[in-house]
Amino acid sequence: MNTESVRSETLRGIKDSFPLMFAVAPYALVLGAQAAQVNLSSAEVALMTGLNFAGGSEFAAVQLWSVPPPIWTIVLVTFLINSRHIIMGAALAPHLQHLPKRKVLPALFFMADEGWAVSYADTLRRSLNAPHLRAFSFPYYLGACISIYPIWVGFSVLGALVGPHLGNVETYGFAMAFPAVFLVLMRSMWKGIRAARPWLVSLVVASIVHLAIPGAWFVICGALAGLFCAYLWALEE
Amino acid sequence: MISVSTLLTFIGMAATTYCSRILGYLLLGNRNLSPRAKAVMDVAPGCVLISVIAPYFVSSRPEEMAALIITLLAASRLSMLPTVVIAVTSLGLLKSVFN
Repeated sequence: MNTESVRSETLRGIKDSFPLMFAVAPYALVLGAQAAQVNLSSAEVALMTGLNFAGGSEFAAVQLWSVPPPIWTIVLVTFLINSRHIIMGAALAPHLQHLPKRKVLPALFFMADEGWAVSYADTLRRSLNAPHLRAFSFPYYLGACISIYPIWVGFSVLGALVGPHLGNVETYGFAMAFPAVFLVLMRSMWKGIRAARPWLVSLVVASIVHLAIPGAWFVICGALAGLFCAYLWALEE
Repeated sequence: MISVSTLLTFIGMAATTYCSRILGYLLLGNRNLSPRAKAVMDVAPGCVLISVIAPYFVSSRPEEMAALIITLLAASRLSMLPTVVIAVTSLGLLKSVFN
C-alpha cells in the first residue's frame, strides 16, 4: 500500500469512528467522576485508563476500589469482563495473517469494543463489495482504534478533575449512544433472520443473567450462549 | 504520590487486558478454520455486541425503553451519526418528560 492510500485509509478509519466519540466521551467523564469519588487522583486515573484502555473493567475496578485495593479480585474481574476480547481477536485473526506479528501485537493493544466493531464491520463490507482488495485494512483499523484512545484517557482525566462539580452526568441522554452505535454496527453485519438467531439467544441469555446475577457476567454468558447455539445449528446444516 | 499497591493493581489489570486482546489472535494463529468454526466466528461479533447492550433491553425505566425502540427504528434505516443523534436526543427529551 502506498503512502497516499495509507493516509486516506487512516483518515477513513478516524472518520468512521467519529460518531463513537459521543458515546465514549461522556462514558469516560462518568468513569473519571466515579474514580474521583473513591479518592483516585487524576494522575492515577490517567495511569489506569492509559495502561488498561478497557472501559468496562475500569468501571468495575472503581466500584471495587478500597485502600489498599483488592488486587486479585480486581484482576480476576478484569479478566472476566475482558474475556470477550478473546472472541473479538479470534474473529479478526483470519484477516490478520498477511501482517507480521511485530505490527499486529502492538496494534492489538488498541483493540477496544468500539474501534474493533467499526473495523470488523468495515472488513465484512469490503469482503462483500470489493473482493479484489484485502478485506482487512490495517491503517483503517489503526485510525478507528487509536483515535479513541486520547478521547478515552483525556475525558476520564477531565471527569476526575471536574466530576466533583458536575452533578450527575447520567441525567443526560448520552446513555443511549452506546446501543445506537452497536445496533447500527450489527445491522451492517446482518445476513438475514436465520443467521441472526444466535444473536437473539445472546440477547435473551445476557438479559436474564443481567437481571439475576450482579456484576458483568451477563456479557460473557450471553456471548457464549449465542456461540454455543451457532455451533449446534452449524452441525445441523 | 501513587502507592505501590495501586500501581501493582493497575499493572495487573493492564497485563490481563492485553493478554485477552492478543490471545484470540495467537491461539488461532495460521490455522485454517473448519466451516463450522467459521460459522461460529461469523456470528461472534454480533453475539458480543448484543450481550454488552442487553441491559438496555430489560431496563425498568419507561423512558429508556421508549428511547430504545426509537433507537432500534433509527438504527434499522439510518447511518451511524444520525442514529446516535436521534438516540441521544430522544432519551434526553423523554427523561425530561418522564421526570
